[in-house]
This record gives sequence, C-alpha cells and structure tokens, in this order.
Amino acid sequence: MKILVPIKRVIDYAIKIRVDPSKGPHAVQQANVKMSMNPFCEIAVEEAIRLKEAKQNKDDEVVAVSIGPKQCSETIRTALAMGADRGIHIETKGDVRGDYIDLQPWGIANLLKGVVEKEDKVDLVLLGKQSIDSDCGQTGPLLAGLLNAPQATFAAKVTRGDDGSFVVDRETDAGTETIKLKTANVPAVITCDLRLNTPRYPTMPNIMKAKKKSVQVISLEDMVKELGLNLDDVLKPRNQVVEVYEPPPRKEGEFVESVDALVGKLKEKGLVG
Amino acid sequence: MMKKCTSSNLRRKLTECIFVRRHATESACVWRLSPKNLSLPRGMSQSWHRPHPHCSPRSSSCRADKQQITRRFGSSSLTSLRPPTKRDLAHFRSILAPHQIITTLDDNNNNDNDDDDELDSYNRDWTNRYQGHSALVLRPQTTQQVSSIVAHCHQHRIPLVPRGGNTGLCGGSTPLSYEVVLSLEFMKDVYSIEPSSGILHAQAGCTLHDLHEYASQRGHLFPLDIGSKGTCQIGGNVSTNAGGQYYYRWGGLHGNVVGLEVVLPDGRVLRLNMPRGPRDFADTMDNAGSFRGGCHRKDNTGYDLKHLFIGAEGTLGVITELAVACPPLPTSKHVVMLVCESYSAVLEVLAHAKQELGEILSAIELMDWQTLSLVRNSLPVAGGTGEALLLDQMLHTNHGINTVYSPSYSQSIPTPTPLYLLVETQGSNSEHDASKMDSFLTRLYEASTISNGFLAADSKRMHTLWNIREACNPAVSRSGYVYKYDVSLPIEEYMDVANEVKERLSSRGALDLFPETAVCVWGHLADGNAHINVVTPGIFRKDELLASHVDELVYGSVLRRRGSISAEHGIGQSKNEILRQIKDASVMDVMVQLKQLFDPHGIMNPGKVLPTDTLLRNHDQSK
Repeated sequence: MKILVPIKRVIDYAIKIRVDPSKGPHAVQQANVKMSMNPFCEIAVEEAIRLKEAKQNKDDEVVAVSIGPKQCSETIRTALAMGADRGIHIETKGDVRGDYIDLQPWGIANLLKGVVEKEDKVDLVLLGKQSIDSDCGQTGPLLAGLLNAPQATFAAKVTRGDDGSFVVDRETDAGTETIKLKTANVPAVITCDLRLNTPRYPTMPNIMKAKKKSVQVISLEDMVKELGLNLDDVLKPRNQVVEVYEPPPRKEGEFVESVDALVGKLKEKGLVG
Repeated sequence: MMKKCTSSNLRRKLTECIFVRRHATESACVWRLSPKNLSLPRGMSQSWHRPHPHCSPRSSSCRADKQQITRRFGSSSLTSLRPPTKRDLAHFRSILAPHQIITTLDDNNNNDNDDDDELDSYNRDWTNRYQGHSALVLRPQTTQQVSSIVAHCHQHRIPLVPRGGNTGLCGGSTPLSYEVVLSLEFMKDVYSIEPSSGILHAQAGCTLHDLHEYASQRGHLFPLDIGSKGTCQIGGNVSTNAGGQYYYRWGGLHGNVVGLEVVLPDGRVLRLNMPRGPRDFADTMDNAGSFRGGCHRKDNTGYDLKHLFIGAEGTLGVITELAVACPPLPTSKHVVMLVCESYSAVLEVLAHAKQELGEILSAIELMDWQTLSLVRNSLPVAGGTGEALLLDQMLHTNHGINTVYSPSYSQSIPTPTPLYLLVETQGSNSEHDASKMDSFLTRLYEASTISNGFLAADSKRMHTLWNIREACNPAVSRSGYVYKYDVSLPIEEYMDVANEVKERLSSRGALDLFPETAVCVWGHLADGNAHINVVTPGIFRKDELLASHVDELVYGSVLRRRGSISAEHGIGQSKNEILRQIKDASVMDVMVQLKQLFDPHGIMNPGKVLPTDTLLRNHDQSK
C-alpha cells in the first residue's frame, strides 16, 4: 500500500498575524515569523502512519510531498520523524507565496496529480481538509476531480478494508456519514478533519531514523516541465486577492459602579426599553 | 521509655508530647530553635511552622486576643498598634471612591454579606493555609492615594498588609489579624516601553500576563515568567524577588528592574531611577521639586536603594510603579522533553546544553516520575488531551491505569524511576537554532545519555510540554495535603535531599507512624533550585507529626549541605522564625536596624520576614 500525504508549511497557528496594509495583497508579514506544518496536514501524516502500522506490511510506504521554498525541507523532515518513509520536495523560489497569493489550489492540485501519476500505484492520498492560511479547502476535491478519483472529505475516522477499499466516517452538519471508497486504478482521496487523531511527537529513535530517509528535491520549473504543464498556468492565481486587513479591534467594555448606572447605560444604548 | 510501645501508642504519646508543650506556653507562641534541634531523635522534633491563630474572627475587642495579636506582631513599641476604627474609615472615604473600599466596620448597612464574602478572599491565601481577620480593604488607584493611606496609618499606628495577586506560597500577603489590606489591584496601567532600550514603565498592580502581552506586541519579552502569570502582579513579583523559569537566561529581578517608585511606611514617596510618567508627578507630591532625574540602565550615583525593596516582601515599603528592562522578543523557539534514566545522566545533559545550545538555552526544568504520574492522575483517565497522551508515552503507563507513586509498594513502577527534562531554546534564527538542537539531541541520544526525547514541532505542542511542567504544582497540591519546600542546593546534590527523605519515610519505623507519602521533586535545574513536595495522596488534612518530621528531615538535610531553605518563595509568615537560625547575628542585627529605620512604628506588613520577637529585643536593648 502506498499513501501519498501532501503537506503544507504555513505560519504557526499560535502566532499573532501582523498585517501591513501598505503592502497590498502581500500584507501578511511572513518574514522572521515562525512557520510549522499545517495542523490538518499533521493529522493526515499521523493517519497515514497509523494505517501503515495497522497492517504491519513491510512494503507499505508513506510518502510526504510538499511544494514550497527551501525551508519546506524542515517540514518534510518533521513528517519523516513522525514516521513517513520518504519525502518529495518541489522547491519554489523564495518569493513565491503559498498563502492564496501565488500558488493556489488549482496549481497545487495539478502538480499533485502529476506526482500521483509519476509515483504509480498510489492507493490513497491523504490531505488536511484545509490550510490555516488560505482556508480554501479546495485542494483535496480538485485533486480528486482531476484524477477522477473517489473522495471523502472531513474524515473523522478511516479504516482500510481487506479488499483495498477505505471506509470513512465523515462529519457533517446533519450528523456522521459513513462512506466506502473503492479504489481500482485510481487512489482514494480523503481529507482529514480535526477529530481524526492526535498527531504524535517525533521521538528520538524516529528523529535519528529520519536522517537516513531520502528526500527527493526537484525545482518547480523542472517538475512542471517533466509533467508537461505550463508554468504560468500553474502559478497564475485563479482568484485575485483584493485587500487584506485586520478585523476591527473589539471595543473595550465599560465598568459601571452601581446597578442604577448599569440600567442607565443600557437605556442609553437603547438595549432596554 | 519507648521499649514496650506499640506503634499506635508511640504515635499517641509523641502527639501528646508536642501538644502539651504547645499549650504550656501561649497558644500563639513561637518556637525557639537551637542548633542542636537539627539532630533530634526521629519523631521528637519541634514544629518549624507556627500554629494557626486562635483569636476569634474580626473581634479585636477581646483583650486577651489583643495581647496575643500584639505579641505576634513583635515589637513592644507596637503595643500601640491598633485596628482601624470608623473614624479611620471616614478619613479613607474622603480619599477613596466607594468601590475602592471593602469593609465590615460599619455594620449598619444590610449589604454586609457581600462585603463579608469579598473580605474573605482578602483574608486567605490561595493554598488555604493562612487565615487573617482584616475588616478593611483599601484599593487605591494612584500613588498619591497610597501615600495618603500609608501616612495616615503611620500616624495612627494602624498595621497594613500590601497585597498583589495573592499567589505567594508563604502567606506574606495574608493578614495575621486585623491589619488593613492595601490591595494594588486597581493600579494596573502600563504606561510605555522605550523602543531602543526596552525599558517598560508600568504600575505595580499590572498582572504579569498583561505585561507579557504588552511587551510582545511591541517586539519585546518581559524577562520574568512563572506559572501563576495570569494572576500574579508585578509589584508582588518584585517584592518577593520571584525567580521563574527564565532566571538562567535573562537573570533575576535585581538585574532587570531598572527603577522603582515606592511609598515608605511614613508615607514619603521615593522615586528611584524612574522615567517621567504620563502625569506630572511634581504636582501631586508633597515634596514637589525633590523629584529629579530620569531612568537609565546605568546610574551609579549614590546608594542603589531599590535593591532593598526587591525581595523585602512589603516590609520596608509599598512598591507602586516600576521600570523593567525587557530584551527583544526572540523569534525562534524550540522545546523538547528528554527522558534520563539517572541523575548523573541529567547532569551530563545540563553540561551539554550549556555548552552546545549555549546562548540560546532559555530554560531547563527537571521533573521526576512521581510528580508526572500525579499530573497524569489529575487528567481524565481516558486521556483525551494532548498532555495526557504524551504523559502516557513518557511514563510507560497503560491507558487508564492509575499508577500513583507509592514509596512502599507497587510492582508496576519502573525502578529506578526516570527523570524528565524540559529544555527550551529561544533565539533569533530558526534554522540555526534547529541545527543546534539537532546536533545536541543526536549527540545525547547516540551516547545513550537520554533514553528518549519528544520534540515539539509547532506552538501547540510546545504549549503542551509547558502545560505539563506548569501542571506539576496544581496537580500535586490537589492530590492530598502537601508539605512544600523550595530549596537551593549545589546542582550535584539536587536530588539527594529528596532521596534521603524518601528513604527515611519508607523505612519500617516511618511506615508504622505516618500515612503513606509521595516525595515529588521538580524545579529549575540550572539554578540549583528544587521544589520538594511531600504529599499524602488522598489525605487532605495536615498531619502535625508528619509535618514536624518532614521539616526536620528536609531542613536538616538542606542546611547540612549549606543550601538555602527558601530559594525563591521567600519567607512571609511561614519561615520567619527560622531566620535567626540560618543568619549570622550581625546580619540579623543589620536587617533589624534597617527595618527600624524605614518603619519605626512597625506598621508595614508586621510579623512577616523578620522573626516576631526581634524588634521586641532590640527595642528593649535600645532603652
């Protein structure tokens, strides 16, 4: 079984984003800011490793793939330290942004389709349901469409059947839905939601093993050429960011000194008759 | 005498002995400890802890009570100390707004219950071990108000307890009796931070968390960080010279506090190396015109008085404003949890960390297996949280099985128990730091110095690792009655005291006399500061006999190694009687002289830090 896990390097979820309105669409400051693996991608990596561990088959492989600047290699190393077997790094130039500015889901999905076809015999593509910088949630479904593959999004539970199918519990607003994905010549595409699992910590034995695992690095231009795509097509944003701004700050509450004052204020604001 | 005693008889006899001796003297008396007490035969020791006051709540009209109370405050000149009256209340009402006063002094109005309950939280410390009987809480908003209040109290001999966040562990901010509580909770303005020097100017009632937020939004790091950061106030932190987890990297408060504004016990305001504030102070001060100068990192002009107030625990004056130097905010942080199988391995990790991580090492905290198993027990058994899952991996416990450490039995405990180290680096370049961390971990793992390590890859997991460290104190406190010690030891002997105590408490004789205990150790390894907590799991009542036994074991062991019996928690009202035993007479004399110089009437936080009878003696001598 071969599982492909696309992962994305984003601004760490706990960092307070700084917005510089003078920079237009590039307002979100990325320089000198802590970056980590997208939390949903971490969950996908964890799920892939668990599926592999469940079967205990030596031939099973988890491949982590990432598209981004050279620092992405750190993110791939983290996936390897968690237990992935191999990495593919499609390296972009440093100024190409992945957060909905330059590289957008359509371009990513096309690249990933190429990777799936090049890898050959991929059984499953596990992705995070969305990235925390662009919040699109489109890459998984677009990829499934391009591959003509069965897909299940917002997975809360994934199990593999003996016949090679995947059974997925999906979380929807109406309740939990259980879907069976049959894989024939195309992989199943599953996107992972928050409650699927809790990602493990890279432990020392695995960090040491990860140093010996291979990461294939290929530049975006070379990859695009190899796949027979057009670089401009891949990089051209389908959506244009018009403006980025911070939400207006929450107004401070007011302290009042007595119940009468409180009632007075409420009346003033027209909240009480 | 003990030959034919059964263990229960023995215990009863010992308990009777101690209580008989207590009641023979006054109930609020204080133990005199002579050096030979340190090696008393097991079981026969005197308590270092003062028994709780037995005076009736809030009625200081009882004369016998008053005598006891006065004795507790010390100095005989303080027989003229008195509680606040309605006249004082009227005076305070002319200075402060109604919501700034909480009192039960005028019992006429029917809103008593609200004030009663509110007063209760001011009369108690957060560990519920100390109880005061104050009837008046004042909450000023400006330095001028503080100065007026203190001047009035000085003139009328009314004792005061300055109070911040009430997170102290020695009862330093809890009244002993009827003192007026002076709470700085409304003085929480953060004024400014200078961009080039990083000097932050704020009032003393700001919480540590707010200061962290303010500084980090402006690219700086507030150099003090402790577990109670959400509640504690910087004035209290400075008054107790709080240590915390960043002590090794960014130094202590004596180094980082650049300036202080403090109100002396007679009401005078001292501005020591302070910047100009948003208000014009010259107008608001009685001695206007005596305020000169600004705030500088280096200023060697005269005696540096601010150091006296840092760590004085509110006994020399009330801190109202501060200027603290903040370093620039580091942009890259890495946190890892390491597992070592022995203390000698821990020492090697420390040496390598200092050597290889070098200038980016920001914290190295030790926790032992017993502590972390109690932390795990305090979390849901099913283990849904990140902390629980990680602890299960770290402790080798099976999902859902309770393995509370027990010194006397249990086969499921790995022996010897592993030790855990949380190592954090903070620097300015993530790639460099990651590569340093990587070579550090690789070398340790290849040499088998660490048996495992858990690397936090993103902020969420870094928080989880720190949450585990910060949960040590609350989790252990919630699992039973805790006998708490905070000591400084030579780093090589860090675990020795706890190991000694463990051995003695698990011996045959001890098991017959005392309830089962768990000895937990955690602390700041690089500073040699160990928090030793002996807890009786499941039992929430203090066992007096056990308390005195453990006191003797711990303090005896620490003092034999020339360690400090209070590394960062301070003295408060819990350890002041020991002071004379551990300080030279000349040192004590100078400390007492300083106290009398600043506070001749003894109104400022009486009964704290200095032993209660020192002023009494000195006063007699000076006649």
